[in-house]
Amino acid sequence: MTLKTLLGTACMAASLGVLALPASAATPSVQSQKGTNGKTIAIFVPSLSNPFFVAEEKFAADEATKLGYGTMVASHDGNAETQLNLIKTAIARHVSAIVLDNAGADESISAVKTATDAGVPVFLIDREINAKGIAKAQIVSNNFQGAQLEGTQFAKLMGYKGTYVELTGLPSDTNAKVRAQGAESVLNHFKDMKMVGKQTADWSQSKGFSVMQTLLQAHPDVKGVIAGNDTMALGAEAALLAAHKPDVIVVGFDGSPDVVASIKKGQIKADVLQPIAVFSQKAVIEADQYIKTGKTGLPEKQELNCILITPENVGNYTNWAMKS
Amino acid sequence: MKDMAKQDLKKSEHPESETRGTGPALGALLLKFRAFVALIVIMVLFTFLSSTFLTWSNLITVLVQSSINGLLAIGMTLVIVSGGIDLSVGAIAGLCGMVVGALIDVGIPIHALGVVVYPHAWAVVLIGIAAGALAGAVNGWIITRLNVAPFIATLGTLYIGRGLALLSNNGSTFPFLDGTKAHGNMGFPWLGNGLLLDIPVPIWLLAIATLAASAVATRTTFGRHIYAVGGNERAAALSGVKVRSVRARVYVISGALSALAGIVIAAQLDSAGAAAGTGYELNAIAAAVLGGTSLMGGKGTITGSVIGALVIAVLVDGLILLGVSDFWQMIITGFVIVVAVAIDQVQFNAVKFPWRGGAAVKR
Repeated sequence: MTLKTLLGTACMAASLGVLALPASAATPSVQSQKGTNGKTIAIFVPSLSNPFFVAEEKFAADEATKLGYGTMVASHDGNAETQLNLIKTAIARHVSAIVLDNAGADESISAVKTATDAGVPVFLIDREINAKGIAKAQIVSNNFQGAQLEGTQFAKLMGYKGTYVELTGLPSDTNAKVRAQGAESVLNHFKDMKMVGKQTADWSQSKGFSVMQTLLQAHPDVKGVIAGNDTMALGAEAALLAAHKPDVIVVGFDGSPDVVASIKKGQIKADVLQPIAVFSQKAVIEADQYIKTGKTGLPEKQELNCILITPENVGNYTNWAMKS
Repeated sequence: MKDMAKQDLKKSEHPESETRGTGPALGALLLKFRAFVALIVIMVLFTFLSSTFLTWSNLITVLVQSSINGLLAIGMTLVIVSGGIDLSVGAIAGLCGMVVGALIDVGIPIHALGVVVYPHAWAVVLIGIAAGALAGAVNGWIITRLNVAPFIATLGTLYIGRGLALLSNNGSTFPFLDGTKAHGNMGFPWLGNGLLLDIPVPIWLLAIATLAASAVATRTTFGRHIYAVGGNERAAALSGVKVRSVRARVYVISGALSALAGIVIAAQLDSAGAAAGTGYELNAIAAAVLGGTSLMGGKGTITGSVIGALVIAVLVDGLILLGVSDFWQMIITGFVIVVAVAIDQVQFNAVKFPWRGGAAVKR
């Protein structure tokens, strides 16, 4: 292949690639947008490669725009140091408030304190920190309650008997542990249900797929899979369908549009919705309240209950929320 | 130093036969096939520890699980042998998965005519692979024309590729790639989960890629040039090898194979995610190194790297079957890699000391 043909092929592929992808401008790591009231709210989330956090960021940013604020949005990739740098940047830019999905219950305390000491109120969403009185609010979904909901529905679907495997999240993530504990606190009561395998799939869809493949080798007659989040549930479901075992019961946790679509197709049997639309918007509304009046008027810690999604009520789902 | 270079070039003429034919046969054989020996040892071990391990269906599962890393490792091996490194393979896999996902779920909107074209599943696959080859060509161009070190160039394209993949659907996935009858683009997931003569398709893909790449590496002029360039770039240039072109082309191959790996991932999961393939570059490098590829270039075999990928897949599968925790899986995998490379050093010293006769390099 000469360079010419090489370039020719390249150009062809390029034009096809451009057609295939929606046109968008390159985005810097920190995106800023001006508001109408001259004030800015910073929104920091752990990742922009996970639809969950993308949705979380979008709900918060949209609410801020609606209330007239400019936004400064970035991801700290779960790295406490990056998080601290972002918070320092936000302080230097004189933002009026920070909405943060933090990078670790212990590691984030000093970062939140840095902002608070500089007079910038912090509103935590999705995950708590192990300290009280520093952040103005900690609005999280009740992971333990959600996991119990998931476990209860899973047991019901299984007919309270049979073998199952559990896929857990990234071992270093607090939510992975809390969800496993929540689900097991329910499942341990059913003597006829037996957990034959428990593996981490690191919240990852491809790892969920390959781990499920291997677990199927060891336990070909397994009846159910309880997953700690939606991406792992989707990976496990794909592996089960590939192995022609569509009857194995899979349940997930998050309430992502992909799993909801799977429930509608009759594949995944149940999911637990984390009310991220609600808590993201709530954090911004409370920040607005605090900026205007100096207080939120609500307790610091606010736990929002998760909602079960089943084939029966899946019609009420819209974009990470349930119509009531 | 000069002698070393000379020997490297000579070595490069015999890419598949670096260990000399003469000398103490058994020791040399064990060293040459150490990845294979490691594979056998690990497999025997797991057979004793787990009753499920040595079953037909589990072995098929292991082969399927090694196919993605295997495809990446083949491209990686050619790149490393040429004296480079490709850190962008995982990102290219993710990006091309997204291209394929977009083509199936969204199609190609042609605004002028106000229609949306949905290419056939096979066309989708070919476009995906072309996109990977393009990304590889960009790598090759940056490295050979802008003279950026491969490590840095492909580190850069790793970030760019991942960023583009995320941008393509704003961080969301393209789910359900079955296609629809109305669009005439059904059948894509077959590549990941289908069977051909009772063998899963990804295994066929890996087998074909292995045979083809092996043939290119050992039986074509281009293949020999890859070894020559990686062994001693200057000497290769002086003997008339078009070094730049050889170096650029290995990245195109690596890019195309990365795309194929990304396509298999998307087909298996029936969904394209922007984060797919994250960190896979290190698995591919590990497989290549396990298989005896030297990071210094000029040395390595395709089959060795594929066996390296198998070793990693067997380890992961066997440890999950035994219910070993993820933490130990990481530690054990790392241990195996270090031991394999330590053995490589033993072999290197053996070659340096003349008791096995450097003369055997001659034809």
